[in-house]
Amino acid sequence: MEPMKFEEALKRLEEIVSQLEDGELELDEAIRLFEEGVKLSLYCQKELKAADGKVQKLVQTLTGDLELEDCADLLED
Amino acid sequence: MNPYLSVSELNQYIAGLLDQDSVLHDFWLKGEISGFKLYQQSGHIYFTLKDKESSLSAVMFRSRARRLDFQPENGMEVLVRGSISVFAPQGRYQLYAEEMQPYGIGGVYLFLEQLKAKLQQKGYFDAEKKKPLPAYARRIGVVTSQDGAALRDILRVLKQRHQGVEVVLVHSAVQGAEAPAQISRGIELLNRYRDVDLIIVGRGGGSFEDLMPFNSEEVVRAIFESALPVISAVGHEVDNTLADLAADIRAATPTQAAQMAVADLAQINREFDQLSQRLIRIMQRRMQQENEILDRLMMDRAWQRPLTMIEDRRQRHGDLSQQLLKAVAKSMDAPQKRLMVAVTGLDRLSPLKVIQRGYAVVRNNEGIIRSIDSIQSGDDIIISVWDGELQATVQQKEKVVRWNQ
Repeated sequence: MEPMKFEEALKRLEEIVSQLEDGELELDEAIRLFEEGVKLSLYCQKELKAADGKVQKLVQTLTGDLELEDCADLLED
Repeated sequence: MNPYLSVSELNQYIAGLLDQDSVLHDFWLKGEISGFKLYQQSGHIYFTLKDKESSLSAVMFRSRARRLDFQPENGMEVLVRGSISVFAPQGRYQLYAEEMQPYGIGGVYLFLEQLKAKLQQKGYFDAEKKKPLPAYARRIGVVTSQDGAALRDILRVLKQRHQGVEVVLVHSAVQGAEAPAQISRGIELLNRYRDVDLIIVGRGGGSFEDLMPFNSEEVVRAIFESALPVISAVGHEVDNTLADLAADIRAATPTQAAQMAVADLAQINREFDQLSQRLIRIMQRRMQQENEILDRLMMDRAWQRPLTMIEDRRQRHGDLSQQLLKAVAKSMDAPQKRLMVAVTGLDRLSPLKVIQRGYAVVRNNEGIIRSIDSIQSGDDIIISVWDGELQATVQQKEKVVRWNQ
């Protein structure tokens, strides 16, 4: 599957479900959509779990490059 | 004859005295503006500063006047830094103003009103320039002080709503002279970095003066020019800062900004599960229909084969329904496993699995062939079986009357 944003995937899944729900689709088209739906479903699930909750600090180095520093301590309160 | 001075000599002498004076050389003066006059041609500003008892002429040359970030008006109280010197041709001393600021809350309000009008004219607050927030932001940029309560509030609420949300912080001063430059730089850095869905910029309340960086043109411009959506989160309920007006969305507090920034994960999960459930139900219905069709086809063969074959078939249907029921029932509890079960259920129901059991789908270029009426002898057809496709040519066709037709 092409890389897509979570919200696009969810939107496409919605489209597929409603298309399957009200469409008088041929079986092969239904199968195609259904399989796409399953893939999207798995993708969304993966995406929902993907983010790992990191807190990082963005700094500019002396050379002007951008760098991320971990700063987990900010979370402890 | 007494020795005497010329008028010019006297004026020059006095000018020399004043010029040497350490106080008059550079000082701040408070007064109310009157007789304000801007000479268009020269660009110099002439005005009188007065208090209740007294008044003083003042001039500000074009090079300084150009740097004013507000429009002086008669009646406005101002602080002026400058020096006193003599205007020799007229024997008058006057104030040479270097810089000028509105004085007091009244002056600041007036200054803000003017700045607001100016920025409004530039289109910084236009509603049609507002960017929508992404519905499912997962990486949040934050510009605020790393030591402030605002950051703690933001992190706490973000984590409550979405455990996995990631935060990229740019630390900046949020009050004082350095703040405007640091805040706007933070917004620019995050725009260069790009890999965040939106930016929260703010601080946790404070006095009117503390909030002034969020009224600076620098910060307002940075917010306006940001390609990433910006939520302003200056903790104050009543007045909007100019940053609030330029932001794509204004939150009253950092806490509220965090709520706006990410959707509630539990809510998304619910919606997502519902979608998956619907997908199951649709395919379940569809498969029942297809199975009925299969059943009818089977009946034809049942004439030629022992009845056990029908029983066998019924048994398989039973198994399938059992599996499905189990999958759906399981999905009602244990929300974590819910989706996997749902997806497994879907897969089990897939028509592909039916084909795997030994059935075939026949189609031509126009789609699935349901009736011999849509096909002629000699037509090319494709027969899909579980592990591949067969290209075939129809040699003969014959109408068969099914028992229930």
